[in-house]
Amino acid sequence: MTGLVLAILTAVFFPGVITRVKSIASGRKGPGILQPWRNVFVLLRKGSVISATTSFVFRIAPVIYLATIIVAILILPFPGRQSWLGFEGDFVFFAYLLALGKFLFIIGAMDTGSSFEGMGANREALYSMLVEPAFFILFGTLGMLTGHTSMQEIFEYFRMSDYNSVIIGIIAVYLLVQIAMVENSRVPVDDPKTHLELTMIHEVMVLDHSGFDLALIHIGTALKFAMYGTLIANCLIPVSWPVAGQFTLYFAIQLLFAAAIGFMESFRARKKLMKNPQYILTLSSIALMAFVLCLLLINQMIR
Amino acid sequence: MDVLIVVLFAITLIYLSVTERFSIYTNLIGTQGLLLFFLAFSEMEKITLMNLLFITTETLVFKVLVVPYLLYRIIGKTGIEKVHQKSMPGLYSLLFVSLGLILSIIISHSLHTTTINMIYFIVAFFSIYTGLFLIITHKKIFSHLIGFLVLENAVLLLSLAIGSQMPMLINIGILLDIFVSVLILGIFMMRLKQSAHQLTMLKDD
Amino acid sequence: MDSIFLIAIIVASFFILLVPGRIRYFYALLVSLFIVALTSIPAIAVFCSPSLSPVSFSAGLPQYSLTFTIDALSAFFILITNLVSLAGMLYSRGYLQAYVTQKSCFELSLHYFCFVWLHFSMLAVLMLRDGLPFLVAWELMAVSSFMLVLFEGEKRITLKTAVTYLIQMHVGFFLLVTAFLICGTSTGIMSFDALKIYFANHRNFGLFLLFFAGFGIKAGFMPMHTWLPGAHPAAPSHVSGVMSGVMIKMGIYGIVRVLMYIQSDVYAIGVFILAISAISGVMGVMMAIVQHDLKKLLAYHSIENIGIIGMGIGLGTMGLGIHNPMLVVLGFGGGLLHVLNHSLFKSLLFFSAGSVYKRFHTRNIEDLGGIIHQMPKTATFFLIGSVAICGLPPLNGFISEILIYAGLFRGLSTGGFNQSVALLLAIIALALIGGLAIFCFTKAFSVVFLGSPRKIHLEVKEVDGGMLFPQAILALLIIAIGLFPVVFVTPVTHILSTLFPMSYPDLSPITGMLTKISLLSFILIAVVLVLFYVRYLVQKKRIIQQGPTWGCGYTAVDARQQYTGSSYAGVINELADPLLHSHTDYQPIAEEEIFPSSRKFETHPVDVFGKGLNVITNFLMLILKKLARLQTGYIQHYILYAFVYILIIFVLLYLKLL
Repeated sequence: MTGLVLAILTAVFFPGVITRVKSIASGRKGPGILQPWRNVFVLLRKGSVISATTSFVFRIAPVIYLATIIVAILILPFPGRQSWLGFEGDFVFFAYLLALGKFLFIIGAMDTGSSFEGMGANREALYSMLVEPAFFILFGTLGMLTGHTSMQEIFEYFRMSDYNSVIIGIIAVYLLVQIAMVENSRVPVDDPKTHLELTMIHEVMVLDHSGFDLALIHIGTALKFAMYGTLIANCLIPVSWPVAGQFTLYFAIQLLFAAAIGFMESFRARKKLMKNPQYILTLSSIALMAFVLCLLLINQMIR
Repeated sequence: MDVLIVVLFAITLIYLSVTERFSIYTNLIGTQGLLLFFLAFSEMEKITLMNLLFITTETLVFKVLVVPYLLYRIIGKTGIEKVHQKSMPGLYSLLFVSLGLILSIIISHSLHTTTINMIYFIVAFFSIYTGLFLIITHKKIFSHLIGFLVLENAVLLLSLAIGSQMPMLINIGILLDIFVSVLILGIFMMRLKQSAHQLTMLKDD
Repeated sequence: MDSIFLIAIIVASFFILLVPGRIRYFYALLVSLFIVALTSIPAIAVFCSPSLSPVSFSAGLPQYSLTFTIDALSAFFILITNLVSLAGMLYSRGYLQAYVTQKSCFELSLHYFCFVWLHFSMLAVLMLRDGLPFLVAWELMAVSSFMLVLFEGEKRITLKTAVTYLIQMHVGFFLLVTAFLICGTSTGIMSFDALKIYFANHRNFGLFLLFFAGFGIKAGFMPMHTWLPGAHPAAPSHVSGVMSGVMIKMGIYGIVRVLMYIQSDVYAIGVFILAISAISGVMGVMMAIVQHDLKKLLAYHSIENIGIIGMGIGLGTMGLGIHNPMLVVLGFGGGLLHVLNHSLFKSLLFFSAGSVYKRFHTRNIEDLGGIIHQMPKTATFFLIGSVAICGLPPLNGFISEILIYAGLFRGLSTGGFNQSVALLLAIIALALIGGLAIFCFTKAFSVVFLGSPRKIHLEVKEVDGGMLFPQAILALLIIAIGLFPVVFVTPVTHILSTLFPMSYPDLSPITGMLTKISLLSFILIAVVLVLFYVRYLVQKKRIIQQGPTWGCGYTAVDARQQYTGSSYAGVINELADPLLHSHTDYQPIAEEEIFPSSRKFETHPVDVFGKGLNVITNFLMLILKKLARLQTGYIQHYILYAFVYILIIFVLLYLKLL
């Protein structure tokens, strides 16, 4: 429960910080930090226009998308707290739950019968498929290093005390940041600010949603950011600290994460669409490198 | 500290297999030289001052400064920018290079020795594989040169892995190889200028 | 089941051929129900007995009697077989309605006869242990399924694929006969139980490989799978559902039974099975993505799921080899549970696809679209099947996949160097399979059911309740296994204690894991319902309008502009180019053609293994054509051949070489 509360608190300021950092980096003042939530409240008060081509799938897609994200956050551990919902192999459940949300989101997009949404759905399915191995190799490595397979126990026993585990920790944080960027459809895979439907991936899938459904999707996106931030914070926060110190460090890490995303988006160009699969598979190769290091560590082949 | 440097070296190799611009290749070769310099420095307590000076000159001056400068001059003068002709797209190169990583792990493990530094050996093997892979799959002669330089770095890393000292002979050999390849090829390419981008692998007709 | 029952079943099934048309279906259903009751009751009795002791009975003449034994493994497979075959029988009534006018009375009677015999022969395969009766039952299964595939035999392509199917089944049969003979000649008895003696004295890997090849052709492991994508689309849908749901599992049953007796080389065998299954899984699903025939797509997915089952079995065998009982439980438990899960959702998917075919008379997904508005119930069942086959929570596919994942990750943490590398590659393969399956089924479901109709504009109604009822039962079971996994996993783990006797550790981590998954699934459903209710409350006061889809400013939006299946799969086609060929049928416009004539453009996916097999068969045909010249048709030549043969024998006798 602690994780859910903290994640909701983070999600309040996360998208706003990203937009603010991007604006400041391009020399403007930018909107307020709570602006995305003001947009959400406006959307909640509006009606909807539903396409005649769609069916019940279109209506259930945003609801299930948000529900899977909420339940996924429930499983996430918080360092030092006893997670009563964790179990062996729960990161597999985490990944597949998010995949369920994505599945319904994709077919909801294809439901509209628009060619643009089909394009976006196709690319989104491809990229989320390619990023799965990186996630599993990473958690396999962390599991092998700590000897446990539930997220709660992995993060509890993952001490960055040993020199080599610091390297693995750095690679893990780097990979989680990149995986978060790919899964949330950010630069360099997808540009959230593009206005050309042909080049959109995630944005084009929400073109036909309006009103309450669109508000649900925005909330889901913000929560997803907070979720990945929680994973990164889990890698970095030491278990032995006092609770107040842990909470402060958590919010500091989330703020830094948001600012880092803002900076990376401002100073990085979007990759060509054809080069994206290659880029995402590079993440798997780097994860493999971490696995090699862990393997050598476990088998005492490193001094 | 040295483990981190070696891991960064492996990551530069992964990056090398997917990029397409020659300037990025040059940057990566320079980065590899810098990483090797730091590695050599960390082995400092085992070698004499004379050797240390030699290593410093070789890696820092030569690999980090001279070679990339020459490569940039070649790129500028001949105007070749990108790898246009590859026999396989970037995705497959990446897959093969990852396969090379797994192969080098398996081979290193089956050696069953304790005297060599395992992580250095694995990355050295991986670099040999990547260098050879670059030479085999690329068609332009500039890429072959880069592959050759990667092979030289691999040999240096291998000497670090196996011995605790770096014999003078190995270093002189590496230096000679680099001299020959970069200088002569550079002069050759700069003379040709316009038609240098048509230089591909040698063929018997 | 004494002799009387056996004879009763055989006689009763022959009566199907004689019964008049109107009561034929009900009579066949009655015979099926009789068989189901007869075999399920002992099977359930085995499960209820505390130590899962086997039940056996003999039937037949006193001098030559058949022994039918039902042990725990057989009981599990018998229950699955009965369920899916019964569902197929219920479905077939509505499906074959359209053929009553096209086919003759005898053809339909023969079809029902073969269906009942397929069911019966599969049960016989599961219950017989002696070599010769087992092989006879296996052959009966092959022949009856061949007759069923040939239902629409007036089409040339159906005939060709059915004959290919029969030939490949016989190649597998030949391998099995060889394996049984090798075992039989060295131990004196031809039976599964003799394997125990054989494996104690000889090298295990060789004979196991022979059995694996023979059973693997039936199961559909990768290099030997080429019959599957031909036979399943050619057969009518209820037959495809039964074949894909249970018949290919007979191969898995055979492999597991052989594995019961393995004594040496166990670890190597496990790694071998794991490797072949991983390749089957990834290649199977990649080939499924590029298909545009709906049932061929589902057939390739069967290959992928056999790969997942094989990975579980391989992992369990590796656990046997290193004496890690937890790996055995997770691996075999996941594999066997996936057998049950796959039979449920695959038959559901085939039945839904059959309903679509019945109404629209085409299996080409590029022509369909927007069916969800006209057939919402079929679409819902297909959606449930798709979500289950991708292994997504809270449905049943996820339960078996997480058992296998848990085993793989456990083996990763506890194993040595080589084992860790091998298991990591298996984890990567399983992750890729999951992602690719999502890709494939979003394509299949959305191109067929969603959007607007592409080429075929028909006004159809939903299929009738008789066809929907078996689908509903299967869907209910899928949801039940997903929400209450502990109820179904516990009996499966009990089966393992009879298969591989060893001291099993406390299984509470597994039940704990499954209970928490079940709890989280309920929480998910609760959150979904709460959000729906909130939305309903909020939107009561808002205006909800209907409008056209946003066309990005383009006003003449057409249904043909939608994403097609080939465009959806096109990106995978490009990425996996050497493995997934596409055969293009197109004549490009030449430079001199100023006014191009009309053309058409067709692309067809090509199975690389099928092409390889074609190369071999073409070569054989070439040699055989040359030999066929000896067959001239003149009787004088044949007498000449006989005379030459006698001469050769005489010469050899003379030289004392014979």
